Amino acid sequence: MVFWLPTLAGRAAEEQAFPAWDGGEPAGWVVDSALLTEEPEIEELGGPHAEVLEAKLPIPEAVVEDVAASPEIPEEFLMAYFSERPKSLLTDPQGLLSNSEFGDCVSFLDYHASDSGIDMFVYIIGGGQDIPSAVREEEMIERFFSEGRPAAIVYYYLGAPQRTVVYLSPSITDAVSAAEQRRAIESSVMQALEKTRAADQLGRFLVQMSIRIYWMERLTPGNISAQEAVPNLSSPVIPNRKMVEPVKVQWLRELVEKWGVAVGMVLAVVVLCMGFGVWWRARARYFFPEFEVEERLGGAHAAGVGAVISFASAAVSPASQRDQVPDYLRRA
Amino acid sequence: MKCPRCVQRIHRAAASCPHCGFTLADADARFGSEEVIIRCLTDSAGILRRRDRERVEAAMERITRRFPQVFVAIYTGSLGEVANLRQFGIWLLNRSAFEDVPLQKPNEAGILLTVDPESKAAGMVFGYLLDPFLEEADTFECLSRAHAYWLEGRYGEGILRVLTHLDAILAKRSGQARRDPEYFERKVMPPAQVGDWARRIRAGHRPVVGEVPKEEPREVVQ
Repeated sequence: MVFWLPTLAGRAAEEQAFPAWDGGEPAGWVVDSALLTEEPEIEELGGPHAEVLEAKLPIPEAVVEDVAASPEIPEEFLMAYFSERPKSLLTDPQGLLSNSEFGDCVSFLDYHASDSGIDMFVYIIGGGQDIPSAVREEEMIERFFSEGRPAAIVYYYLGAPQRTVVYLSPSITDAVSAAEQRRAIESSVMQALEKTRAADQLGRFLVQMSIRIYWMERLTPGNISAQEAVPNLSSPVIPNRKMVEPVKVQWLRELVEKWGVAVGMVLAVVVLCMGFGVWWRARARYFFPEFEVEERLGGAHAAGVGAVISFASAAVSPASQRDQVPDYLRRA
Repeated sequence: MKCPRCVQRIHRAAASCPHCGFTLADADARFGSEEVIIRCLTDSAGILRRRDRERVEAAMERITRRFPQVFVAIYTGSLGEVANLRQFGIWLLNRSAFEDVPLQKPNEAGILLTVDPESKAAGMVFGYLLDPFLEEADTFECLSRAHAYWLEGRYGEGILRVLTHLDAILAKRSGQARRDPEYFERKVMPPAQVGDWARRIRAGHRPVVGEVPKEEPREVVQ
C-alpha cells in the first residue's frame, strides 16, 4: 500500500496539465467539421482577422411560412368536394369521420333540415389541410346555392374548429348581418373547443350552429320555415355515406334533362288534342234523315216495340232473354 | 218488327197483327183511349230518389241536346204482367202528351223506357222516326246494361246505364245514316207489289230510258 501510493503520484506528475484559456485567443465559432479535416486551424489562417464562420439561422418569416404551409386537400378529392352541389348535407369524401360519427352527423343535419327553413351543408376538411387557392368558394356558393332552399355552407376543419368558415346562400346574406354571422361562428367554435375529441367538437359545433341558424331564420324576411319553404328537388335527403346516386337514377335524370321538355310538350299537345276531341264530341249534334213510315197496328206515332227484359231473378241472365218470346212460352 | 202481344214478326205496314189480330184499339180497351198528359220523367212507382232523379234528368237532357230531333221519356209504374208492359209502352207513346216536350217534336221522335218494379220488368219502345235506325237488338243491349243494377233495386243507376248506352247507339246509327241513308230508307220503303215484279219481267229487267237503275232493297219483309 505504501509502495503503491508514491507510484501513483509519480505517474500523475508525468501527465500533461490541462490547457488554460488565454484572453488573447480569437473568439468565435470553430466549425466542428474543421476538426476532421486537414485544413489548418484558425490560428494558422491568419490571426485575429480570420473570417468567422457563422451558421445560417432561419429568418422569422421563413419560420412563419413553414408553420402556416399546410398540405392542401388531395387533388383526387377536389371533384367530390367542389364539382357540384352536394347530394348530402354532410360531405366527407376523405373519410375523415368514422361511419358512426358520419351517421350521427347526417342524422342531426337531416333533423335540422326538417325543422328549419335553412339547410346546413357541412364539408369536412382535415384540420391541417387547406382548400386550394384555385377553388373559388364564393363563386361556388353562388353557383350551387343561389337556387332552392336557403343554406348555410360550413367548411369545418376537423380538429381545428377555429378555422371554420361559414358562407350563407345569397338569398339570406342580405338579411343576416356580417356581425351576426361572425357571432354565430364564434359561439359555435367556443362550444366546440370545450371538447377535446375532434368528433365531439364537430357535434357541439353543429348543435350550436343549428341554434344560431334558427335565429338567423327569424331575421330573414317572411320567416322561412320548413313547412313553408318550397321543397327543392335537389335538396339532399339521402343520408348515404358514399353520396353517389345510383347509376339508374343518374341515367334517368340525364334523360329527363335531355328530353323532358320535348316529351312534356308532346304530352301537352296530346292532352290538348284529347281535350279538344272530348269537347268536340260533347258539342256534336246528330241528326237522322226522316223517311215516310207507314203506320202499323193502328198506331199514329209508334208501333216499334223494342225489347223487354225481366230482372226478377239473378238466375235469368240477360243473355237468356235475348230471344223475345211470347209470355205464354216463357218459363217461370 | 214484332207484335207487342204475341211477339211474332209482322209486316211493316200491317194494320193488325196477322197472327193474333192485335191493334192499338185492343190496348185502348185495356188502358183507355183518352189522351194522357204526363212529363217526360214520370216516376209513378216512386223508385227514384231525388239525387237519382236529377242525374236521370241530366242524362235525358244530354240526349235531347245531342240529338235535336229526338226526346227520351221514362215511365215507372206497376202494370201487372210482362205482356202488359209491351202493349202499355206502345199505347203510352201513342196516347200521351208530354207536357215538357216542345210541340215541334212529335211522339214519333220519342223513345220511351218503361220500368215496372212490381213485375220486375222493363221495356223500350220508339216512334216511327227511329223505326229505320233502331232495332230490337239495340234496345235489348241498352236494357241489358241495367240488368245488374235493377236486380239490386238500384233503379236510378240502371236507368243511367240505359241512357248512356242509348246515346252511344244513336250516335252510331246517325253516323251510319249520314254515310248511307239509302240503306235505312230501304228498310221502310213500301213493300214490293206483285205488279211491280210482273212489269219488270215484261220489261226484260231493263231499266226504262232515263231511269236510273235502283238496287234491290236488302230487306223486303220484316
